[in-house]
Amino acid sequence: MPHRKVSWYKMDNASIMYSSLQKEEYSAIYRFSAVMRDKVQPEALQRAIDKVMPRFPGFRSRIKKGVFWYYFEPNKAPGPFLKEDVAEPCRPVRFNEDNHWLVRFYYYDRRISVEVFHAISDGAGTISFMRCLLAQYLRETGVDIPCTEGIQNIEEKSSAEEWEDAYSKYAVKHCKAQPLVRRAYQNIGTPERFYTFNVTMGFMPVDKLKARAKSLGVSITDYLCGALMYVLMEKQRSERPIREKPVALSVPVNLRAYFPTKTMRNFILTVQPWIDPSLGDYSFEEVVGLVHHYMRIHCSPNEMRAAFSRNVRFQNNKFLKIVPRILKNPIMAISYKLKGTRPYSAIMTNPGVFKVPQEMEPYIEHMEVIQGQATVPRPHLASMSYGNIMEITFSGTMKEAELERAFFTFLVKDGIPVHIESNRQRPNRAEGGK
Amino acid sequence: MSYCVNCGVELGKDLKRCPLCGTLVINPNEVEREPELPFFPQRQERIEPVSKRELALLLSVMFASVAVSCGLLNLALRPEVRWWLYAAGGAAMLWIWFVPPLLWRDMSALAKVALDIGAVALYVLLIAVASDGMNWYTGLALPLIAALAIITLVICYLLRGGRRSNLMSIVICLIGIGLMSLLTELTIDFYFSSHWNPSWSLIVLAVCVGFSMPLIIIRLVPSLREETRRRFHL
Repeated sequence: MPHRKVSWYKMDNASIMYSSLQKEEYSAIYRFSAVMRDKVQPEALQRAIDKVMPRFPGFRSRIKKGVFWYYFEPNKAPGPFLKEDVAEPCRPVRFNEDNHWLVRFYYYDRRISVEVFHAISDGAGTISFMRCLLAQYLRETGVDIPCTEGIQNIEEKSSAEEWEDAYSKYAVKHCKAQPLVRRAYQNIGTPERFYTFNVTMGFMPVDKLKARAKSLGVSITDYLCGALMYVLMEKQRSERPIREKPVALSVPVNLRAYFPTKTMRNFILTVQPWIDPSLGDYSFEEVVGLVHHYMRIHCSPNEMRAAFSRNVRFQNNKFLKIVPRILKNPIMAISYKLKGTRPYSAIMTNPGVFKVPQEMEPYIEHMEVIQGQATVPRPHLASMSYGNIMEITFSGTMKEAELERAFFTFLVKDGIPVHIESNRQRPNRAEGGK
Repeated sequence: MSYCVNCGVELGKDLKRCPLCGTLVINPNEVEREPELPFFPQRQERIEPVSKRELALLLSVMFASVAVSCGLLNLALRPEVRWWLYAAGGAAMLWIWFVPPLLWRDMSALAKVALDIGAVALYVLLIAVASDGMNWYTGLALPLIAALAIITLVICYLLRGGRRSNLMSIVICLIGIGLMSLLTELTIDFYFSSHWNPSWSLIVLAVCVGFSMPLIIIRLVPSLREETRRRFHL
């Protein structure tokens, strides 16, 4: 949203999708948490929220239902207010509740958490916001934090470039759909009861992970994707299907690395590394190698621009523009099922390293990231590193923990020590299927 | 700090069991101590499911207004024929199909099917009453609807939860079709000629059984199942 006063603004194509898919059991919410060295001071954190929010007007928006599309409007309601954290993170958003806020703030002991509806910003935008919030929180507690390492000055007004629709900016006429596996192994389990959300976190040293990835000649993301695909492949084989389906991951790529923009709105695209186990056995090294080369080949600016230009063309289609929103939503839901759920076995996202100025480092212990629930009961994986701690989260509404177990024990066998924390043993945990 | 003997991972201090495999954490070197603050918060925030009452109310008003409008129109257009009853009955049937599942979200699939077929029976009864056709209703329509209801409910019960294999699901459906055709012909014969003279339904049943038997054998014999997969590239 530009700095000048605006009464409403259009959604980008990712926001349109996330808003259309919104339903009672599902909405694309994710969470970033910072675990501090000291207990959180709620009053100081609320002051920090109040000061930081005006600098990020995109986070101060609400979603309104238009006749043809959803759209954003500045939210002038009081808040958002800091709350004590809850056992079930990433609860779906309801547009007409909680003063229409699409961002939530929680605290618990030493943890500060921010939950964001994906329609307003992607991981990179929220990391920038989180960094600024933590800096302001530390300032409120008496620590002097400079505006370096990407920390925005909250005294300055946001620029129009920070809230531009980068998809439309870089879209071209020539567009082409990404080649996708039509139907991948689904890895669907037994659903938990309404709003029961299982989170299992694994913590491991970055240096050991990096050394192991380096020994295979790949990046940490490639290594983690390869490990996940390998355990998914083994899991599918153990289920003895009639015919093994391809194992495919959805890996979001930050397009800012390829198309320069300052936008804090969504600007990501997913790529789909995949293997077909029906062709024969793959060793782990082969899987990692395939992922590595797939990512290098398909993360080309031209290919990615062609893919998101197609989405923008869909958004600008003159016929679709006049179809009422109420009719578009089911079409989007079917389209997401065919193009966003069926072709994938899991989502693996790695927003990367959380960098902060040197002055902040002693106050933060580690960072955590949690992906919200999927449209189907299967776990998704998210990872993030801070200092020498890599945090990997499996989250989902699936009762079984087989994939988590297979993944973390695989890492242990591969020489990487893993520390586990989970909310699966919380008291009053709902039992029984949905 | 304990490790899971099964998974080899280090476990959080407040974990009593390994969250990955459920193995109990027993560390003889760690004495019993006051539990630390859990890693994850324990505060439960109860979220009620979104009420569907408004939608149920909207649908109820829509169906009621269709019935009332048709009733008023009937007064002006051909009042000698009570055609509005058909429209009102149709609206009532649709109401039973759509509104109760919105109000009672835990309703089982079997109950939904029973309710839907019951609504059809009532609608046909209304048509029979309005057209002085209780004879064909009791002799033909009601037995056919009852047969359809019983067979559908039995099939739904047997296939519930997707626990059956694809082959057994096909066999159950085939036998259901065969039985339904048999009962249909039986009902028609009794209604029109008071005695059963089986003909086409036996052929349908024989075809269904003929297809089912090999499928059952394939399902029960692992080597045949494997051979079929290979032959048909399944």
